[in-house]
Amino acid sequence: MRILIVDDSTTMRRIIGNVVQQLGVAKDDFDEAEDGVVAWELFQKNNNYDVVLTDWNMPNMNGLELVKTIRNANKTIPIVMITTEGGKGEVITALKAGVNNYIVKPFSAEVLKEKLDGLVKG
Amino acid sequence: MSMSQAEIEALMNGPDLTSEEDVELDMPNIEDIEANDSEEDFDESILDGIDGITDNEEIQEKEDGNSKEKDESIDKSKYPLPVENEHKVVNQLNEVAEDNEQKASQIFDVLSFILDENSSIQQDNQDINEFLEKQVELLESLSEKFPNVSVFNENLGLVKKAIESSSSLSSKLNSENSKIFEAMELMQYHDINRQKIERVMSVIRKLNIYLNGIFEDDTGKENIQIAKQISGDSSDSMGDDDLEALISEFAK
Repeated sequence: MRILIVDDSTTMRRIIGNVVQQLGVAKDDFDEAEDGVVAWELFQKNNNYDVVLTDWNMPNMNGLELVKTIRNANKTIPIVMITTEGGKGEVITALKAGVNNYIVKPFSAEVLKEKLDGLVKG
Repeated sequence: MSMSQAEIEALMNGPDLTSEEDVELDMPNIEDIEANDSEEDFDESILDGIDGITDNEEIQEKEDGNSKEKDESIDKSKYPLPVENEHKVVNQLNEVAEDNEQKASQIFDVLSFILDENSSIQQDNQDINEFLEKQVELLESLSEKFPNVSVFNENLGLVKKAIESSSSLSSKLNSENSKIFEAMELMQYHDINRQKIERVMSVIRKLNIYLNGIFEDDTGKENIQIAKQISGDSSDSMGDDDLEALISEFAK
């Protein structure tokens, strides 16, 4: 499974990467991007991701813009928003933009595992 | 522990401590507290064995000195601090946020190193365990064939104990790994706190724009002459008599 992890915080990318590794994904099978612009470049260049995990608030291009950009090019790839934005309005906005699932920080590894399992099996 | 607004208000509206009786009723333990605070029976040599203790009296003196310095600075219009990069609030907050992120990454490096080492120990332990299992098989077979040679049986017991220790080590490593994963999860708060700092920075930036706007001077009068002494400012103002006397003096 190829995963793209997008977050402006190095620590968060490493935490998510660690959980993903616990799921059995090898280090070489996931890429990291620090903002939406870098993520979109990687997405276009590699075009082989099975899941995108993205933060919302990031410089240059935020997560919501990234989701909309990816959705214009790819309608099926599962996207999970992992963010501190826990308001109902934000969740609805993200779902409308095209995310498949939503996780509010701080989260437990179990939650991410469950959501990823659900997306991969679904 | 912080107090709620209701508790603060209740405290402020509480019994009026004007009479001596009330004061005595409300402060029965002051003597006890003072007795506890007394350092007469305290063995100060204990302090010598504790690292990192600084003399409070020295700190107090320094604080008093700083306080005087600040007061003088305020009188001389040196305070608030000059608008330099190192004193700008948003710059300082940004520095804290970046430093926080950097240190969190370093902590993560340490935790990752421990995880990798644990994994390596786990692998070595597994190899040892496999070897010990083979030794058990060998010693069991030898014990059966040579029941009169007690050393085989004794060694079999020792190897089985070693296998138990190996299992215990493996289980301890697993518990340690799960605690490290827990610590890694908790490190999300570094990111959450950074975002809280960024929110404060954003508010300050907006406030800065607002204050600049509201204090903006559109009159075009950059150097308005201002009066240095206006009647009523202080007692140093000259009265009519003094004024006349001074004029007369100059007229001579």
